[in-house]
Amino acid sequence: MSLWINYLDQILLYAALALSLNLLLGYAGQVSVAHAAFGAIGGYTMGYTTQAHGWNFLLGTLLGMVLAFVIGTLVALPALKLSVEYLILLTLAVSSVILGLLIAIPEMGGTYGLINLPAANLFGWHLQQPEDWLLPALVSMVIVYLVCHRVGESPIGRVLKGIREDPIATQALGKNVLGYKVAVFGLTSSLAAFAGAMLAGWLRLSTPGVFGFAFSLTIFAVVIFGGMGNLAGSVLGAAIVVLLEPVLRRVVRMEAARASLVQLVVYGLALAILMRIRPQGALPEGFSLWRWMRGHRTPQARVEMAADWVPSTVQRVAEHVDDELPVAEEERRERAWHDAAVVLRTSGVGKRFGGIVAAKELDIELRRGTITALVGPNGAGKTTVFNLLTGAIAPDSGSIILNGQELIGLNPAQVARKGMVRSFQDVRLFNRLSCAQNVMLAVQEQPGENFATLVVANRRVARAEVETRAKALDWLGFVGMAEFAEIPAGALSYGQTKLISLARVLATEADVLLLDEPASGIDTKWVDTMLDLIEAVRDQGRTVCVVEHNLHVVGRLADHTYFMELGEIAAEGTIAELANTPRLAEVYFGTG
Amino acid sequence: MLAISAETFRQLTVDGFFRGCSYGLLGVGFALILGVTARFHFAYGFTYTLAAYLAFTFTFRANWPFWPSVLLGVLLSAVVGALIEAKVYRPLAANAGATALLAVFVAALGIGIAGDNLIRLFWGSETQAYYGPTKKSYEIWGTVFLNFDVWQAASAIAITLALAAMLRYTALGRRIKATRINPDLARTIGIDAERTYVICFFLGTICVGVAAIWYALKYTIDPAMGTLPVIYAFVVAFLAGTARSPIRVFATGIAVALIEQYASIWLSVQYTQTAVFVVLVGYLTYLAIRSSAFIARFKVAGP
Repeated sequence: MSLWINYLDQILLYAALALSLNLLLGYAGQVSVAHAAFGAIGGYTMGYTTQAHGWNFLLGTLLGMVLAFVIGTLVALPALKLSVEYLILLTLAVSSVILGLLIAIPEMGGTYGLINLPAANLFGWHLQQPEDWLLPALVSMVIVYLVCHRVGESPIGRVLKGIREDPIATQALGKNVLGYKVAVFGLTSSLAAFAGAMLAGWLRLSTPGVFGFAFSLTIFAVVIFGGMGNLAGSVLGAAIVVLLEPVLRRVVRMEAARASLVQLVVYGLALAILMRIRPQGALPEGFSLWRWMRGHRTPQARVEMAADWVPSTVQRVAEHVDDELPVAEEERRERAWHDAAVVLRTSGVGKRFGGIVAAKELDIELRRGTITALVGPNGAGKTTVFNLLTGAIAPDSGSIILNGQELIGLNPAQVARKGMVRSFQDVRLFNRLSCAQNVMLAVQEQPGENFATLVVANRRVARAEVETRAKALDWLGFVGMAEFAEIPAGALSYGQTKLISLARVLATEADVLLLDEPASGIDTKWVDTMLDLIEAVRDQGRTVCVVEHNLHVVGRLADHTYFMELGEIAAEGTIAELANTPRLAEVYFGTG
Repeated sequence: MLAISAETFRQLTVDGFFRGCSYGLLGVGFALILGVTARFHFAYGFTYTLAAYLAFTFTFRANWPFWPSVLLGVLLSAVVGALIEAKVYRPLAANAGATALLAVFVAALGIGIAGDNLIRLFWGSETQAYYGPTKKSYEIWGTVFLNFDVWQAASAIAITLALAAMLRYTALGRRIKATRINPDLARTIGIDAERTYVICFFLGTICVGVAAIWYALKYTIDPAMGTLPVIYAFVVAFLAGTARSPIRVFATGIAVALIEQYASIWLSVQYTQTAVFVVLVGYLTYLAIRSSAFIARFKVAGP
C-alpha cells in the first residue's frame, strides 16, 4: 500500500513541476529544457540550508524560490529575443551551467549531491513516511495549479498566448512583451524551485542525478503528453509517465530493471507517435473535463461554416459603388483635409540599411478625421514608413510628433499606448485564439494584465473582464463578425481575417490607425465592406492612414494622398492631381 | 602567476586539438542537418551510440574483421538517420505547419530516449571495451598521443574537406545549398528538397558515426555515450553558424575543445565543461542583444 502512496506522491510532485513548465511552454510558448535545473536550485537550497545550517524546511524552500526567481529572470533577458532553436540551446546551456556549478561546489556534495537530508519539518510535523507526504504533496500541487490557473486563464494568460502566437503583433497592440516574458520566466522558475524543494524533501536527497537533464526532458514529456496549454492535462500526463513503470512491473509482470527500460522506450516512442497523431496532447488547450462531462462540446459545426460567410454589411454597401468620384466631391474632401487639425507630423525622417536608402527626408502629415493614403510601387518603402512611425525600426534622423509628443526612441508597444496602432499586411492574427480573444487582447489598460492587481483585486479584474469582452463583441459586431466570436482565428477565410484584424485595431481605441493594405488580396465582394468600414471609422473622428496599391480604393477613400518612390515622397495631393503627374501614370498605367 | 610548464601547455594544446577534431566533426554533421533541413535533430546522439554498438556487434558477435564491421556500422546508422528523417520528421513537419520545429524537437527527443533504452535492452546497460586495432602511443616534443588520435584527426579532416568540396564543386552540393537557402524556391526549379533532406541526414549521420567509432576505440562504449556529444554538436554548430562552411564549423569545434582544455589551467577539472557553456550563454546573450536591430531589419521590414 505504502508503495502506491509513494507513486501518488511522485505523481503530485511531478505534476507540480510540469504545471509550472506548462505555464511557460504551453501558454507563453517559451521552450525551456532547463526546468529541472531550476528545480535543483530549490532542492539544493532547501537541502543545504536545512542540513548544514538547521534551517526550517519552508524557509529553505523560500530562499530557493527567491534564488530561482532571480536566476530565471536573468536567463529570460537574453532568451527574449531568440528564436525557438536558440532558446532550446540557451536553456540547455543554462541547465548545464547550473548543474555543473552545483557539482563543482564541494558544499553541495559534488557528484553525489546532498544525501540523507533531515525529514522535512512543517510546523513541528516531521514528514517521515510516504503517507505523511501525501497531504503536503497534494497541497503543493494544488498551490502551483492555482497560481498557474490564475495567471494562465487571466488577461495575462491571454497576453502570454498572444506572445506565443505572434510577439510582433502582440507588441503592436501595446503590450510590454519583454516585461511579460521576463516575468513569466521568473515566476515559473520560482514555482519550479518550490516543486523541486518538495521533491528533494520527499526523496530526502538532492543530487545531480535527480535533477539532471534527463529529468528536464521527462517533465517536458509530461507537459507534451498532457497537452500544452491545458493544466489538467499536466496532472494527467504526470500520472501516465509515473505509473507506466509500476503498471509494466505488476500487470505485465516484468522484472524491475527491465520494466524501467521498457517504460522509457514506451514513453519515448509514444512522444514521437503522439506528435504525429495528436500533437495537442491528451487534453487539448481549452478543453475542460468538467464542461465535457456536462455535455458541452466545442462548436465544430460553426467552424466549418465559418469559411464561406459574407457578413451582413455587404448588402448595405452594394448600392453606392462608384469608382469615379465627381470632381466637386474630391475638391471638397481635399479642402476638408487642409482644414483639419494635424495629429501626426514627421519631419526629415530617414533610414538607411547599409547602402540602401529605405526612407529619405519623409515629411508626412496625418490629420484628424481624415484618411491619408500612401501609394507607390512595390519596394517604395510604404510599409517601412509604418515600421518607422510605430518604432519597429528606429529612424536614423528626423522627428515624429504625435499630438505634440516626440515618438522617436519609443518601442512599438509604447507608441501603441500613445494612441497610434497599426495593422499588418500579412494580417498576423493569433490563430489559435478565438476571434473574441483576438479582439479582447487589443483592449487597453485592462487591470487583469497587471500581476499585482491580479493577486489583490479579484473582483475588479472579473468586472473588467466582462467589460473587455463586451467591448470586443461590439467591435466584432461593428465589422459584421459577431457570429464568429468563439471561432479560432485560424479557421477563417482570408477576407474574414482582414475584418477581424480591423476590429482588433479598432478595439485599441487608438486615435491614429495605420492600415497596411486593408483591402488587398481579398475577394471583390469583401472590398466594399472593408471600405465602408474604414469610412465609418473616419466619420467617428479618428485619423486613418492606409497603404494601398489599388488606385480605385485610394480614389474612393483618400482625402489626401502621398505618392512614394524609392523611399521618398515624390508627390502629394488629391488622387486626381497625382494621376496627372507623368511618373505616377507611368508606374501605374505604363507609358503606352 | 600560473604554475604551468611549456610542456603541460603543449600537451593541453595537443589534447585539445584531437578532442576538437571530434567536436568539429560532430558539429559539421549537425550543422549540415540543422542548417539545411531546419530539423532540431535531438536523436543525433542516438545514432552516435548506435554506430558504435553496431560496429561492436559485428566485430565481437559476428566475428568480422575490424574495418568492415566499422564501415557497416557507420553506414547502417546513417541509414537509420535517413529513415528517421523520411519516416518520422517529414510527415510530422508537413502536419504541424508553423509549429514544426517544436513538434520535430519533441519527436526527436522521444526517439532519442526510446533508442538509448532499446540499446540497453538489446546490449545491456554496462560499459564495454571495444578492442580494435592495437593501441599505440607516440611521443613527440614531450607530448603524448595515441594512434587512434591521429586516425581520428585524419578522418575528421578528410570528411570535412570532402564535404566542403562536395558543397562547393558538385551538382549535389549546389542542390543542398539551394535547399538550405530556400526550399520552396529550390522546388520550383526542380530540386527534390525531400530527397536533399534525406541525403543531408545520411551524410550528417556518417559524421557522427565516425566520431563515435574513435571514441569507442579510445575509451569504451556504453548506452549513454551519445548524451554529451549531441550537446557538443549543438554548441559547435550554433557557435559557428549552421549555414556556414564545414571548414569553419570544424575550426569552431577545435576552438571549443581548446577553450575547454585551457580552462583546466585556471579552473579545476569539474568546471571546464561548465566554462564552455558559460561561453555559450555569453555568446547567445550577445546574439540576443544584437538581434534587436537584426529582427527589425529582416523580419519586420517588408515591401
